[in-house]
Amino acid sequence: MEFFLQLLLNGIVVGSIYSLVGLGFVVIYKSTSVLNFAQGEFLVLGAYVCLTMMVKYQIPFVPAFLITLVFSAVLGILTERLILRPMIGEPVISLIMVTLGLSSLLKAIIQGIWGTELQPFPDIFPAQPVHLGPLPVAQGYIYSMAGVAVLLVIFTLFFKYTRSGVAMRATAFSQQVSLSMGISVKRIFALAWSIAAVVSAVGGVLLAGIRGGLDGAMAFFGLKVIPVVILGGLDSIAGAIVGGPIMGILENLAGGYLDPLVGGGAKEVAPFVVLVLILSVKPYGLFGKVKIERV
Amino acid sequence: MTPRKSLAAILSAALLPATAAAQQEIKVGGIFDLTGVTSDVGKPFAQGVQDCVAVVNDAGGIAGRKVKLIGADYAYKIPQAQALYKKLVNDDKVIMIQGWGTGDTEALKEFVGQDKIPYFSGSFAAPLSDPAKFPYNFFVAPTYSEQLRSWLDWVKQDYAKSGGKGKPKVAFMYGDNAYGKAPIAAGKKYAAEIGVDVVDEAILPPNFQDAKSQLLVMKSKGVEYAYINVTTTGVSLVLRDAKTAGMNVKFGSNPYGFSETLPKVAGANAEGVTGVVPHVPYGTPVPGMATLEAAHKKYHPTDTHDAMYVRGWATCLVWMEGLKRAAAANNLTGAGVKAAIETLSDFSTGGLSQSVTYTPTDHRPTMTTSIYQIQGGKLVKIGDYIMPRTKEWFGL
Amino acid sequence: MRCGDFRQSYAEDMALFDSPLPRVLLGLLLAVLLVLPQFATTYWLDVLNRIFIAIIAAAGLNVVTGYTGLISLGTAAFLAVGGFSTAALAGKAGLPFVVVIPLSGAITALVGLVFGIPSLRLKGLYLAVATLAAHYIVEFTVTHWDSMTGGVSGISVPAAQFAGLTLENDRKIYYLIFPLMVGLLFFTKNLFRTKVGKAFVAIRDQDISAEVMGVNVFRYKLLSFAVSSFLVGVAGSLLAYQARIISPENFPITLAIDYLGMIIIGGLGSILGSIYGAIFITLLPEMLRLATDALSNQYPALMSLLAPMKSGVFGLVVILFLIFEPDGMAARWHHVKAYWKLYPFSY
Repeated sequence: MEFFLQLLLNGIVVGSIYSLVGLGFVVIYKSTSVLNFAQGEFLVLGAYVCLTMMVKYQIPFVPAFLITLVFSAVLGILTERLILRPMIGEPVISLIMVTLGLSSLLKAIIQGIWGTELQPFPDIFPAQPVHLGPLPVAQGYIYSMAGVAVLLVIFTLFFKYTRSGVAMRATAFSQQVSLSMGISVKRIFALAWSIAAVVSAVGGVLLAGIRGGLDGAMAFFGLKVIPVVILGGLDSIAGAIVGGPIMGILENLAGGYLDPLVGGGAKEVAPFVVLVLILSVKPYGLFGKVKIERV
Repeated sequence: MTPRKSLAAILSAALLPATAAAQQEIKVGGIFDLTGVTSDVGKPFAQGVQDCVAVVNDAGGIAGRKVKLIGADYAYKIPQAQALYKKLVNDDKVIMIQGWGTGDTEALKEFVGQDKIPYFSGSFAAPLSDPAKFPYNFFVAPTYSEQLRSWLDWVKQDYAKSGGKGKPKVAFMYGDNAYGKAPIAAGKKYAAEIGVDVVDEAILPPNFQDAKSQLLVMKSKGVEYAYINVTTTGVSLVLRDAKTAGMNVKFGSNPYGFSETLPKVAGANAEGVTGVVPHVPYGTPVPGMATLEAAHKKYHPTDTHDAMYVRGWATCLVWMEGLKRAAAANNLTGAGVKAAIETLSDFSTGGLSQSVTYTPTDHRPTMTTSIYQIQGGKLVKIGDYIMPRTKEWFGL
Repeated sequence: MRCGDFRQSYAEDMALFDSPLPRVLLGLLLAVLLVLPQFATTYWLDVLNRIFIAIIAAAGLNVVTGYTGLISLGTAAFLAVGGFSTAALAGKAGLPFVVVIPLSGAITALVGLVFGIPSLRLKGLYLAVATLAAHYIVEFTVTHWDSMTGGVSGISVPAAQFAGLTLENDRKIYYLIFPLMVGLLFFTKNLFRTKVGKAFVAIRDQDISAEVMGVNVFRYKLLSFAVSSFLVGVAGSLLAYQARIISPENFPITLAIDYLGMIIIGGLGSILGSIYGAIFITLLPEMLRLATDALSNQYPALMSLLAPMKSGVFGLVVILFLIFEPDGMAARWHHVKAYWKLYPFSY
């Protein structure tokens, strides 16, 4: 029983990181209907900027982190302005492809500037684990859960009560109608991209802090999180937040119970099987908006 | 190090076009991973090879001829490695190739035999050391299998020393790929022979973020020692998770997961971890290190490198000697270089690795495995483990 | 001189060639490609072979994604199924390639049918993730079914052989791959002049309308998956025959993304687009590598500095291309053709 509880708790804890990164996807998808394949590179870029600030310029963590956030916001705006804006009105699949191109480009920039070797990341969390019931948990994950909780509140309030938030939802519903209502769709897109980049930077720094080292391979995390947001529903903040722990739990249960039976490897595959089963019952994810089609 | 500085350094130090007359050059191919999934270790390895070639050329080359390393990046994409191989062999007419990972070595192992192109890999998989199957494959380290056997010997010793009763309980953690699985079968067999219990095997997926479930399973089985056969990032994650879970397991690791980088990344969690180190850490006071350090200072004044760089360098030293002997025998062809390398007997790389021996029937370079331990954040050698050069372990 | 389109009957509208000129030009191109191996070096033959294989697979992906509107991330998995089927049928059973290639395609088509079932319920990106699941399931299977696939260390494939004929090198296998590609492209092109193909397009454009018009949506979606997987499976089979050794590491998820890139850059729902996209995505890394090689052979120390530029230039080209021609290369080709059609009197 304790074994089961530990797996369960660990799934939730690790899943919080998935949620955090997943939020970046959702914010962009919600307002622009684009699945951003460059998300992984945003993570890595944020982490590297923070690393450079801390190690090279010897800035303490908190200001370095704030500089990283500012940098990411600018990066998001630039991405939108230079790459996504010329594509407004083009088919969604072209927009998705353009993010793949962006991912290649950013990867090259990252490798050009910081190289490919694994670099140690300063300890930003205390080393002592925190005990959650039977499970000792690294402090980095506690921050990630806290981060998810804070972001959940911020985003819920933002999308419900602020002008920009409502405008973003309107843009997601229909760009044309929003334009005719006087909403600057361009500004909304820029906002969405910079929010997503900032969220990614938070995720990247947390991830690098937990891992203790940083290299380009961390960009794979972007791809890994896609099933999470699909599970929750691509356009749902709550979906991303619930999807992360579910995916984490699935992975851990598969790892704990199936891996010893099949000789390993189930941890990676089993969640996908369950994912397809869930999707066949809820085709738009757990919390995604169900599209009602009329001809 | 800033990129601008490194660029300036390279420009000032090395921007000298290769000028020797083309037909005089000895052409050697290079298939490197500079940008792909293994570039964290592939790039320093490639730089070690490049710098070694540059130093040999600066000293006059091989029998008065410069060595031209025609290297390129394949980004760990196998079709690209195959294309590159075809280009190197058919268009560039290289006489041997310095390759890299398990993926490209496995994909090319049959072709190098047909084309008679000696192929040095960064993969130390045991089957490659059997010339009856793969006559043109070489590497400069004990095989992955010998490495694991040596580590198991250490486990047995350590267990007895720390007063353990019965058999030590060991787990293997590895990636679900050719590199990860390479020594596992040999390890299990050897463990049974020497009385070590392998109670658990755990697979670590590529780019995993957390290994808690695997560790919890290990904990429930009472594992006391574990060998982690993935690269440094993964090793560090396992160590961190194990520390958090409060596990009291003694970990060991393989040459691609254990270098000076590990204690830097894993911090205090790496304390006491043992690992196989076939190529000495950067800066170890051995005779061969002086040239290496001088070259490093010249070509990368602002960079730091670890044992991966030394690995590239040491591998290059071995085939350079092969080229030298082939040139002396006036037979600078693929077959000639292979024959020349097979005359190497107890050839010393200046202490950068164990001395290596190749014969036409046995490509196991050395049977000696050095095991190091991280003590106080430093890699400290705790012993050399010598395996018998037996028939039954050959190629396994 | 050709000027404008004057189509008076359905048959004319459906014709593959609207005038004799393209027919002649195509014939010339095929003739050139037929004698090319006599002059090309092994490296370029390898590149050509890989381009042709990519064209077949891209055309296959285009059937399901471009024509039927179902985004698939399973291309790498289907290539793997085709490849490992070939390894088993040719290596273990010793069958000749005339049997192995269609059988590999058929096996892949079956697998495609199974993984197409979620398309009953799922659409768009949600379906894409179901195919992503297919990728991981296939990857897990080929990695762990050691007795059949050789597991992680891979499996070697004998040279394609049939009736005493052995295609052991790139020059010989070219004459298998190239005609097969032409034939399959012809088949695919014609598919969209038939009822089946038009049903696919109807589903893409509006699935509910298609159903109202009497198209059995689910059946045709599955059929689309099957046809697509068949083509991809044949490509996988050829890939195994050409590479001669395959392992799970040959088929990473990034490969599936590359293929999606091919058809988007080339042009969705266009055979010509599949061709252009496959050429572009296969050739660009080679070109970039040749360029960086040339530079870094001159200045060896620059090699590790130049290497990342490959992916950078690749990304940049993709971005610029999509910004300036979001409909793909096939559309650009169309514009160019239209311009020259009326030259110099275009208005």
